[in-house]
Amino acid sequence: MPDTSQTASRGFTLFPRLSGAAVAGILIAIFLMAFLILPVAQVIYVAFLDARTGAFTLQNFQDFFSTTLFRESFVNSFYVSAMSVVVATLIALPLAYITTRFNFAGTAAIQALGIIPLIMPPFVGAVAMSLLFGRNGSINLLLNQYFGFRIPFMEGLNGVILVQSIHYFPFILINLSASLRNIDRSMEEAAQNLGSHGVRMFRRIVFPLAMPGYLAGAALVFIKVFDDLGTPLLLNVNNMLAPQAYLRITGVGINDPMGYVISFILVAFSVFSLWASFLFMRGKDYATVQKGGGGLSRRDLKPSEKWLAWGVIVLILAMVLSPHIGLLLLAFGTIWSFSPLPDGFTVQHFGTIFTQSSQYVWNTIVYAGSAALIDVVLGTAIAYIVIRTKVAGRKWLDYMATAALAVPGVVLGIGYLRMFHGIQLPFGLGQMSSFWGIIIVALAVRRLPYALRACMAALQQVSLSLEEAAESLGASRASTIRRIVVPLMTGGILAGFVTSFATAAVELSATIMLVGRSSDAPLAYGIYLYMQSPAGRGPGAALGILAVVIVALGTYLSQRIIERERARQTMTGQQH
Amino acid sequence: MNRMLTLSAAALMMTSAAAFADTVTVVTSFPRDLTDPFKAAFETAYPGTTLEVVSRNTNAAVSHLQETRGANTIDLMWASAPDAFEVLKEEGLLAKVDVQFEGIPDAIGGYPVHDPDGTYFGFAASGYGIMYNTRYVQANDLPVAQEWEDLKRAEYNGHVAMSSPSRSGTTHLTVETVLQGEGWDQGWATWKWISGNMNTVTERSFGVPDAVNSGATGFGIVIDFFGLASKASGFPVELVYPSVTAIVPANIGIIENAPNQEGARQFVEFLLSPEGQQVLLNPAIMRLPVNPEAYANAPEGFPNPFSEEFAPGAIEFDVDKSGVRYNLVNSLFDVLVTYRLDDLRAAVAAVQKAEAAHAETGNEEAAALIAEARALVEAMPITEEQSLDPSFTQVFTISRAEPDTEVVGRQAEVEQSWDSFAVENYRKAKELADQAAALN
Amino acid sequence: MTQTKAGIRIEDLHLSFGDTKVLEGIDMVIEPGEFFAFLGPSGSGKSTLLRAIAGFGPTPRGRILIGDRDIAKLPPWKRNVGMVFQSYALWPHMSVRRNVAFGLEERRMPAREIGPRVERALETVGLLHLADRMPAQLSGGQQQRVALARTIAIEPQVLLLDEPLSNLDAALRVQMRRELLALQRKLGLTTIFVTHDQEEANTTSDRMAVLDKGVIQQIGTPQQLYDQPANAFVAGFLGTANILKGAMQGPDFVTAAGQRLPVAAPLGDANRIVLRPQNIRISGSGGEIAGRVAHREFLGSQIRYLVETPDGQIIVDTLHSSGQPPYDEGATVSLSIDSQSAPLLAD
Repeated sequence: MPDTSQTASRGFTLFPRLSGAAVAGILIAIFLMAFLILPVAQVIYVAFLDARTGAFTLQNFQDFFSTTLFRESFVNSFYVSAMSVVVATLIALPLAYITTRFNFAGTAAIQALGIIPLIMPPFVGAVAMSLLFGRNGSINLLLNQYFGFRIPFMEGLNGVILVQSIHYFPFILINLSASLRNIDRSMEEAAQNLGSHGVRMFRRIVFPLAMPGYLAGAALVFIKVFDDLGTPLLLNVNNMLAPQAYLRITGVGINDPMGYVISFILVAFSVFSLWASFLFMRGKDYATVQKGGGGLSRRDLKPSEKWLAWGVIVLILAMVLSPHIGLLLLAFGTIWSFSPLPDGFTVQHFGTIFTQSSQYVWNTIVYAGSAALIDVVLGTAIAYIVIRTKVAGRKWLDYMATAALAVPGVVLGIGYLRMFHGIQLPFGLGQMSSFWGIIIVALAVRRLPYALRACMAALQQVSLSLEEAAESLGASRASTIRRIVVPLMTGGILAGFVTSFATAAVELSATIMLVGRSSDAPLAYGIYLYMQSPAGRGPGAALGILAVVIVALGTYLSQRIIERERARQTMTGQQH
Repeated sequence: MNRMLTLSAAALMMTSAAAFADTVTVVTSFPRDLTDPFKAAFETAYPGTTLEVVSRNTNAAVSHLQETRGANTIDLMWASAPDAFEVLKEEGLLAKVDVQFEGIPDAIGGYPVHDPDGTYFGFAASGYGIMYNTRYVQANDLPVAQEWEDLKRAEYNGHVAMSSPSRSGTTHLTVETVLQGEGWDQGWATWKWISGNMNTVTERSFGVPDAVNSGATGFGIVIDFFGLASKASGFPVELVYPSVTAIVPANIGIIENAPNQEGARQFVEFLLSPEGQQVLLNPAIMRLPVNPEAYANAPEGFPNPFSEEFAPGAIEFDVDKSGVRYNLVNSLFDVLVTYRLDDLRAAVAAVQKAEAAHAETGNEEAAALIAEARALVEAMPITEEQSLDPSFTQVFTISRAEPDTEVVGRQAEVEQSWDSFAVENYRKAKELADQAAALN
Repeated sequence: MTQTKAGIRIEDLHLSFGDTKVLEGIDMVIEPGEFFAFLGPSGSGKSTLLRAIAGFGPTPRGRILIGDRDIAKLPPWKRNVGMVFQSYALWPHMSVRRNVAFGLEERRMPAREIGPRVERALETVGLLHLADRMPAQLSGGQQQRVALARTIAIEPQVLLLDEPLSNLDAALRVQMRRELLALQRKLGLTTIFVTHDQEEANTTSDRMAVLDKGVIQQIGTPQQLYDQPANAFVAGFLGTANILKGAMQGPDFVTAAGQRLPVAAPLGDANRIVLRPQNIRISGSGGEIAGRVAHREFLGSQIRYLVETPDGQIIVDTLHSSGQPPYDEGATVSLSIDSQSAPLLAD
């Protein structure tokens, strides 16, 4: 790919002297070019071609806007995304607030449980959800039996909104919690001192100050829902943009250019949403003066308040963990058909997977772990370059990395095959496109936006003066980053690592194109294999549970580290 | 130092080359329930040879083969959908290898077993049927539907599911079979009335047995092994074959430039051999052997497509006709049914309600309104002639067989006109039916 | 601005963070309209006490009365106690005007009354022209004034200032100190000022309390505390002090090394004597204590001698007018003390 590096660096060669940040920026730009932009361009350039002659045309875009179905799909996608943000906010807000503002016994556990919905392996989640909430799911069967009516939880767009909010609210939870933790306690105390408290204070002071984190999370949810095709497809809702694109790209022997037009529009709209959120946030630099210096005000709860808080939390957790409860029933159940609960219970499915699937577990940990590591390194670097340096074109690093959100996995997978096939790797590693390392790169690229948003939010809240202080004491730029910036960002970086790891561990859409041998396959692929046959439902669910347990353990440990880190910083702050 | 590196690299390459010769790599959409028994049987029959199975869904497998044609690492493609093999064949991705077998007829249920050009081979057959959940049927007090026609009845409203033909090659064959069997207009009318009773058109072919197994829906139009395997796994489901059914072969083909063509040929011959055919009777697989001899050992009640009583109405399937309009039929079904399912269901429900209201009143005005509404639901935007006209069908394909064919319009343009046609007709039909229902 | 002047009474207040006792047995009365300072080193509990009055931190044991109302158990938002934070805690997402209006809006005041009151408060601190800026666009001193305006706008019964000057540069600090005092006098607000800087406390407060290790060491006017420190800590914390150990013998205080010092007001069980450097006269001979100059520092208006004596080093300050200082390092000198200004301590 000699031409890749040339294209990427052309914009920067005008600079006579390249700073370290610029060099890092160029390297990242080359990476993103090679593993994201060019592979995707290889696939979606079709959108600009005349289907008949192969000449350049914009006719396809005109067709897009003159087609009723597509216009409806656009509106539906927008509506579903916006409503999902609203519902996800309603779920995430109480959890984030209670766990960051009160001395609460279960904080680490709740924060860890709160991320679990993100770890929903493909296929099993929808099966489990419809077994519980579907037209003839447990709840509706019981409702119908005792009260003679059903609630259409899972029907149409509302079903998509429900499932998406439950699935993606952790993005808001994670970012909002990190933001809330970073608000200097005097900000709230000043408000209380002036007579404000409770919901009103939250609305007027706390929430606006947590806005950077909240918006980061909300933008992620919005874009993710806008671009997600798995959930609508599994609920058989097809009049939305992403499923329309998917259906038109992946049909055997079909080569409808509209699929690529929609893909292009998805990418463009996501970048636009992101840009809009930047615009909104401009000038709202809410870095607190002394992170850790003011500490965090955590209040003790009165017994009555404690009960109320537990009530709210249990209710929310019951709702957001329902897919996993369904999954658990499925994994331990024998036959579950048209009944509120499975006919019987067994551990046989776990026996099946333990004898057949141990390599999936190891592969998953290696792939998702490496990908998440790459993500936080790139995420921190990009965040720093974008927020703290004046490197020309720095915003484009962010736009490029974030555009990965909008790229359907299958498009990226096909793009990789096109780009890297036939490139022979040294040392007997075989073809680049079937080398397992490429799976890690694909996962890293797809999950980079998550880590990046977390790192950005974390860096935004590190006051510039802390860095200046270090530099004034003679620290170089590099050692300031290493010794001051990165340690202060630890919480955000870990949050980014967890999100990337957890979601990469259950990723399937791109990996399914890239798995060369079954011995290289990750867990999600194993689940997919099982879930393709009726007898595989139980073992598939059991494998899903295994995936969830692995990721949840990782998350819990990281959460503990974040809490400990926070406690350490607060203590240091109090000593001064 | 340098030399040692070179040496070890060479050694590595030699070992991998040696391993290569004994490995047959097959990409497949089949579940491991099917591949594992074959892998075991094949490796026993050819000691020293390993069968490496790469699982992908059919679409991903085809895309993968297309994208990697320059440096192919796959020996065999092994999947159900014949149309996937047609695509591969057209693109020159399948090798023509002299494969030896005997005792297998040329056609089964009117559908040719092997590719006449010898690039892919049918090794098992599957029929299409109606799968139903016994608990669901009992709880909703429904009779068991035996024929496609039964599913049109009002009592099945909201109890049926199937997958979209554009998503599932086998569903496509069922749709095309009815179109050929009943004729273009009548065939589409049948599909629309059945679709009006559907609660969902799934986007994955496995979504249908999943929905029936879990009891989300009562009846599913499925390929038989889904039903048979579900039943064998203990789900409370049954499968019936309607008298008009499509018999679909499941296929295997050798990839052009296969790294291990000899091993690939051995595996194909093994599949088609009597021992290979016996493996199909494994209860987790439940596919129909293409060698009539194999049925001698079949368990009691195992369907035999070669017997007289099996699917007496099976039609002579016209492969060419199907091939010409393959994408057009898929697109038409999606635009008229899949994407407008809510409108269609509303119209069909309104007609059913009006008919129920006037079943015994003999109100002629209402009858006229209902007839008009029915005609609107059934109306088609294009005729059968158009559906076979290359200048029209090739709007829906990019890589055309004859590049100089003049085509009329773009796919998006055509689909938009069909969409307005369908939405308007369904709306008017519902309005008329509602009017009829309101009459006393 | 009409203000109901209210005094503060704190009775037997105890407070701890977990097992660590932070405040012990605090008792004090602050008169209405008084400018009162809490002075102490860091970790002395002065900020914790201020925060306890505002309602922040762990709930203390004991009573805090403002006027006749016990507020110790009330949440912060019901106390009507205005606090200016060390970091100012201006909300970065609100303009100056909205920051100042906040407390009034929370009191559900009609909008037509809020506007004029905000302007009056901003005018009081001289920042009306910056009302529509965002906090990030203001200098440190301006932020300080906005924080003040925000607090006085709600017309609190008591004004609490938590190290309000510590984030300002030296020149500005002196200026703001005077402004604060002028403002306090004008509004007549009962004010508590927390600081670790004795000069700040001395120059502004009517009375002050010196805290150490969570205990009030002494309360009084700055001068009282300086002239009659209650213990060695207060003596050492307020200004420079030479503290010599010893005991009373008849009317005189005899140091550990046996030097006999006359005192004006004998105290039976006294065991220490406080000698302020400027209250010691240095001469060639004839004083009570003999010693040798170990070190000399030129301080501008004063010259400071460190004199080695049998009771340890004693600091002596003499006024400087001009010319060569009379004693060089190594010179033998004699120190005499003013019996009127040599308080005795007993502990």
